[in-house]
Amino acid sequence: MDNGTSFISVRSVVKEYRVGDSTVRALDGMDMEIDEGDMVALMGPSGAGKTTLLNMIGGLDSPDRGSVIVKGMEISSLNEGQRALFRKNNVGFIFQFFNLIPSLTALENVLVPVMFDRDPPFDRAVELLERVGLSGRMDHVPGRLSGGERQRVAIARALINDPMIVLADEPTGNIDSVTAREIVSLFRELNDEGKTMIMATHDRLVSARARSVIKMRDGHVVRGKAKSRERIVHLADRKASGGIRRKVEG
Amino acid sequence: MERRTFNAASYSLSHLRRDGTRTATTIVTISITVAFLLLTSSLLFGMLTDGGGDRKAGLLAGDIPGSVDMFTEFRLDQEISGRARNSLMSYLLLTSAMVLMVGFFIMYNTMAISVMERRREIGILRALGLSTKEVMKLFLLEGAMVGFISWIFALFFGTPLILNLASYLINRGSESIFFVMPSMPLALVIGSLLVTMALSTISTYIATIRPVGSSPVAMMRTRI
Repeated sequence: MDNGTSFISVRSVVKEYRVGDSTVRALDGMDMEIDEGDMVALMGPSGAGKTTLLNMIGGLDSPDRGSVIVKGMEISSLNEGQRALFRKNNVGFIFQFFNLIPSLTALENVLVPVMFDRDPPFDRAVELLERVGLSGRMDHVPGRLSGGERQRVAIARALINDPMIVLADEPTGNIDSVTAREIVSLFRELNDEGKTMIMATHDRLVSARARSVIKMRDGHVVRGKAKSRERIVHLADRKASGGIRRKVEG
Repeated sequence: MERRTFNAASYSLSHLRRDGTRTATTIVTISITVAFLLLTSSLLFGMLTDGGGDRKAGLLAGDIPGSVDMFTEFRLDQEISGRARNSLMSYLLLTSAMVLMVGFFIMYNTMAISVMERRREIGILRALGLSTKEVMKLFLLEGAMVGFISWIFALFFGTPLILNLASYLINRGSESIFFVMPSMPLALVIGSLLVTMALSTISTYIATIRPVGSSPVAMMRTRI
């Protein structure tokens, strides 16, 4: 089902939350288009609706009004079961507070999204952890890992299903600047391999290396930077060579 | 890597290990519940089969060191009036039902608290693409594991202890109401397993179904 829309299309989305007796409008008629293979930094003050927007695109939450269309599929109209399947197959989430399961080792955490699969891809989990530089830490529980290491585990976990979209909510918000720089380089690398990256961030380090920056305020876009021509050519070349996933699958 | 698999069962097991103290106390409590149920139902079985119990059918009763052979010591069973027999059976049934209810609520409570504490974790699992059904399966697996371990404990440790206590009471005086030879046929052993599993999984299901189904975004905001 292709409606001739962008890869990700957010149309007139309104989302309100009830906080006590009052209602907070997190997204106020939000309109946005994101192309496949883009690396977008969503910027804006706290309360601008960045996280809510990520949750909508990732199928974690549904809008009160408007629609969210990903790859021609209107995810805002899916039921919870279908949305869970959509998340599992298409989206990798990375959070500010890592959100690892404390009782599991790094390797087990990476395998969590696929634990109900008939044959969980154990080797792929090992490869992903090696790729993020944690080959010696696979059997450590999160309590014995540093902030940066935990975020790397979370990145490996987000990639276990080889998603086309990676959503990161303040990915560098809880780690030191040196590690943040490494994490952003890793994001850039993933983007080069074809992943569409969308990051909600306050961090200039992240936005500086993004391909597009969308500024938000009070639940709508105030300014969006157009993607560079160079980027589109780059994506076309890569698709022609067919080498998008080579590195991850090693 | 030594361990080549990771699945739902490993997940549930790792959580039970992490929450060791609570798991242990729940297992002890459910074991006591099941052991008590085994005692009352073995007495009921005893009464139903030949009034005083069929010694051949007894799985444990006759083999307990130090226990008296109630069947030969007290042949009063033949003389019990129908009324006394009925009231004893009603008493046993009533106590069994009450104990079953207590076990049910203990399990319910444990799982309800566990789910409350793990709201954030449930939100994460849902965000990672697990369906409500799959998250429910994790909790049901935990409940079933606790139930199964409790049943083993009840069968191999609790029952002999309680039966010994019963025979001790009987030895204290012939006036004792315990003149029934407990009987524990295989059917009762299998039945007790089924009841324990039903108790643990149904109470887990009721305690967890609503919180597990709520919005993942709301659950992930939880800070405990």
